[in-house]
Amino acid sequence: MTHKYELMVILDPEIDERTVAPSLDKFLGVIRTAGGTIDNVDIWGRRRLAYEINKKSEGIYAVVNLTSTAEAAKELDRQLSLSEAVLRTKVLRAEEAVARAAAAAAEQPANGR
Amino acid sequence: MAGKSRGDSRKPRVKGGKTAAPAKAIKVGVIDYKDVATLRKFISERGKIRARRITGVSVQEQRLIARAVKNAREMALLPYAGSGR
Repeated sequence: MTHKYELMVILDPEIDERTVAPSLDKFLGVIRTAGGTIDNVDIWGRRRLAYEINKKSEGIYAVVNLTSTAEAAKELDRQLSLSEAVLRTKVLRAEEAVARAAAAAAEQPANGR
Repeated sequence: MAGKSRGDSRKPRVKGGKTAAPAKAIKVGVIDYKDVATLRKFISERGKIRARRITGVSVQEQRLIARAVKNAREMALLPYAGSGR
């Protein structure tokens, strides 16, 4: 049973921004070996944090859309949180969001605007 | 069965209910915790989530907004409420 997930990670700002994509890919290997797929990787880049995390006021944000089993997603989250270069992670099920976006899109032309 | 009975079972409002209507409901499309610009409209300067009576959105939308704001706070996209501004 696979689900769509959306993963957001905040990485340490001290790491080189060019190394973000490869290191992220290394983590995502867990998903691939478990038979999941990576649908989209969006690296936002450096961004100011609303409050300090681990004495840091900036972070490198990345959003990954993936399809995998619950176990693989959980394992990915666990491994990310063990890494020192990761300030914070969030894994959300993306299905509801996608359904809501579709519903809103369907409603828009019906209203005639 | 009358349509009236449902509303009357709740706490009766004194004098025809003085719900100050919000100036106008903020139009919301899809609510996403990553969309900080939209969520900013629903929090006060101090970072508190604005009440529904102020924003004028529906109950369902307010719930989605509240959840999105809380998710955004966890990811340091929005500040937590506090005196420090």
